[in-house]
Amino acid sequence: MKTMAASENRLHALDAVRGFALLLGVAFHAALSFMPGWPPGIWAMNDNSPSQFLSDAAFVTHIFRMSLFFFIAGYFGRLLYQKLGASAFWANRGKRIAIPLIAGWVVLFPLISCIWTTGITKVFGGTMPPMPEMPKTPGAFPLTHLWFLYQLLLIYVAVIAGRSLFARLDPAQKLRNLVDKAVTGSLRVPIAVFTLGLPVASALMSLSFWFYWQGIPTPDQSLIPQIPASVGFGTAFVFGWLVNRSRDALSLIASRWFVHLMLGVIATGWLLHTMHASPMAQPGLTKTLFAMVFGVAVWGWVLGLTGAALRFLSNFSATRRYIADASYWIYLMHLPVVAALQVWVGHWPLHWSVKYPFILVASFAILFVSYHFLVRPTFIGQLLNGRKYRRNDGREPLPPGSTPSSPPPADTGNGAAVARLRGITKRFGAVTALNSIDIEVRPGELLAVLGPNGAGKSTAISLWLGLIEPDAGVVMLLGGEPQDIARRRGLGVMMQDVEMPKELHARELVALASSYYDNPLEIDETLRRAGISQFADRPYGKLSGGQKRQAQFAVAICGRPKVLFLDEPTVGLDVQAREALWKSIRALLADGCSIVLTTHYLEEAEALADRVAVVAKGRVIASGSVDEMRALVACRQISCESSLTAAEVRSWPGVIDVAFDERKLRITATDAEGVVRRLLASDARLARLEVRQAGLNEAFNELTREAA
Amino acid sequence: MNALALNSADTASAPRGSAMVAYFTETRYELVRMVRNPGVAVPVLAMPIALYALFALVIFGEAIDKDPNLGMFFFAAFSIMAVTMQALFGTGVTLALERDMGLLRLKRAQPAPPAAWVVAKIASGLMLAVLAYIPIVIVALTTGKLALEIGQVAAFSAALLVGSIPFCAMGLMVGSLASGTAAPGYALLIYLPGCYMSGMFFPLPKSMYWQTGIWPQFHVEQFAMHLAGITKYQYEPLSMAIATMLGYTVLFAGITIWRLSKKE
Repeated sequence: MKTMAASENRLHALDAVRGFALLLGVAFHAALSFMPGWPPGIWAMNDNSPSQFLSDAAFVTHIFRMSLFFFIAGYFGRLLYQKLGASAFWANRGKRIAIPLIAGWVVLFPLISCIWTTGITKVFGGTMPPMPEMPKTPGAFPLTHLWFLYQLLLIYVAVIAGRSLFARLDPAQKLRNLVDKAVTGSLRVPIAVFTLGLPVASALMSLSFWFYWQGIPTPDQSLIPQIPASVGFGTAFVFGWLVNRSRDALSLIASRWFVHLMLGVIATGWLLHTMHASPMAQPGLTKTLFAMVFGVAVWGWVLGLTGAALRFLSNFSATRRYIADASYWIYLMHLPVVAALQVWVGHWPLHWSVKYPFILVASFAILFVSYHFLVRPTFIGQLLNGRKYRRNDGREPLPPGSTPSSPPPADTGNGAAVARLRGITKRFGAVTALNSIDIEVRPGELLAVLGPNGAGKSTAISLWLGLIEPDAGVVMLLGGEPQDIARRRGLGVMMQDVEMPKELHARELVALASSYYDNPLEIDETLRRAGISQFADRPYGKLSGGQKRQAQFAVAICGRPKVLFLDEPTVGLDVQAREALWKSIRALLADGCSIVLTTHYLEEAEALADRVAVVAKGRVIASGSVDEMRALVACRQISCESSLTAAEVRSWPGVIDVAFDERKLRITATDAEGVVRRLLASDARLARLEVRQAGLNEAFNELTREAA
Repeated sequence: MNALALNSADTASAPRGSAMVAYFTETRYELVRMVRNPGVAVPVLAMPIALYALFALVIFGEAIDKDPNLGMFFFAAFSIMAVTMQALFGTGVTLALERDMGLLRLKRAQPAPPAAWVVAKIASGLMLAVLAYIPIVIVALTTGKLALEIGQVAAFSAALLVGSIPFCAMGLMVGSLASGTAAPGYALLIYLPGCYMSGMFFPLPKSMYWQTGIWPQFHVEQFAMHLAGITKYQYEPLSMAIATMLGYTVLFAGITIWRLSKKE
């Protein structure tokens, strides 16, 4: 089961990757005036300080940046198609892709031509050389860097036509299920890097003139689809589309990010080495091998970078959101800006290591400023990104986003809970630790989580703390994901089985933990509240077991937590220390802190808890107030001296459990009156009869026994 | 109860300064711990200077007086060993021990900036490296066994400090992969062969030159030789040394980040 929140977070990551691929294009083009050995006229400028390093760096980025873009485009393409249906999809793509292509070309082409003419005249010392004519082949057209929009439209047409064909040929979804299996299988092994590299490799091998540096030749000169670009970028798009179809592909990409990235890096290293030996492909083994390794490099980078983003950038960040939104405009408009700067600085007597950063910084400054004022709050932003932002705060979208990359999820659903597990399943290998459980913690309450060892209590806490991820379901902490560090600043935690550094004093441990929070308590106040002022200046290693737990409690409360997780906090404490800790806990509750407490001491739950959740075998078998728990099982304990045996009594209706100790029968019963009547009737010599309300202990035993 | 739900605006407006405070505090207490527990550091600090004194002063003392290049060779070998070993063990072994203690779980649950702990470990590794290096350079200069200008000594020292970074990363990798008890063993296993096979301790036969580039120690030594302008012992271009050190750092750090970020 995929969850809404999880998939939305993944979209944040993929959006970031798309933005990265586009911005990388700016850096790539900004490097092109510094290429050593390029004949004058190929680019707008030939800088007087060429750089082999920039040439290599540009080659590396060029390997993957467009494939990465088309891969993400494929993923979002299917998402949009599923969401909108065919006609709305085409209307949307018309606005976002076709209009920017046409309008952008009309505005940009004259600008680009003008800058190119200026630059080339400068390169040739003031006289414009005769320009090579556009090739007189059918379909020839100078698409400029906007070719990617044209290519994208072509791919949309082809893929959606292919999709309808598939739907007709494969009504039972058998073939498509097979494809899904192939996608996940190839990512799991992981051989996708090699299999996906094959189509692009064979297209490249077939090229008669192939400069290694150019990678997949850019199809910017013609409206007729070019084979290598269509195969290379088409594969990327289709695989993105299939990844969106598949249930597990994204998780696999996320978990294999390092392997993929390393394959990409190693393949790239080999490519650089080979290219330096001979930059032009000669027919033969090296060309074939170069094409194959190139395919591996493309996909190593694409899957590695996407996976790394899914792994590390999946939470919402306002900065990344802004950059991702800006990237489309920036990429569309960057070429004249970058080229003009290149022409301007081209003859300056400065090293490339000064000029290149200057071009980058100046371009990005111009482009971001233009985005912020001309695009973000205007109809252009509405057209490009599907939403317009108010000028004043720059954050609130107006109206709500209609693209797959919608604004951050706020607390969805019931806003009253500070922490919630909803529909959570978590497996460790074959063991199901939690089986679709729902628990929530309300503001200002203490929830005691009870259960036998291995019931799943610690797993639940680990999920809330963001230490593990669920296999299914949504974990919510303070209105969002627990992985988000800003949310974790609202929690305090005291774990089991943690040893603090023994050289540090308790006061220093508190000071260190306090440095993680925005608005911590004064250190002395923390020490006082945790009752450890007397031994605050002794090394942690020299404290007794109980004092160590108290020091850990101080560490847990130092950040003024809104929600506090206490995992078996009073283990090893003597009676006074335990009373003191309970007092601190009550004071925190009085201040409005919510607390989740796991404990084996049932009297602790009875003394402190507002509510109890009983967990057994990975399920919540009961939850409610302490009184409700008792009422739920309505147990009473009957004890008496009798000649009846435990076995006899156990079979009676209304009897839950019978124990025999110190010559007394101890009966736990739901129907105490009935059992007493029968006891008196069955045994005339019955003596010392007592009936009392069962404690949580008995209630708890019965509940967990039922679950077992 | 929206006040209790941190919304995205809160997220974005969280003071940036707090992360810096956390980095600083974490590093400060890491160094405090090192100072309070000298028993761990002293043996590893004492060994390189003891070995250097034995070889450069006692065994080869006279030979060095005749051939200053030999003095340079021994100084380079033992100072590189001193610095890189501290960087490796100072970061790796403590990291592994603290993972065993459950401290990593706690830090991940707390709002500790993920890299603050790693930065603190690197800082303490570098600090130990400096502490191990200083006695060697003092002995070498005061006994006249090192014929370098003061500028060359400064450049060589700076190069060693930079060169210890890949070893910090190596230590973090070992510490993130191995348990506390196994970490010292694994660290030695991947560290010691490099000391011998890189030609750092004794000149290698020509037939073994091909493999020197595998060992990070070799590139650190080359980097230091270039920076100090000692041409006699330069075997590879400066750019190659820098690129390899950078490559190893990225590789080791990448494995560390991958391992530490893995959910249990």
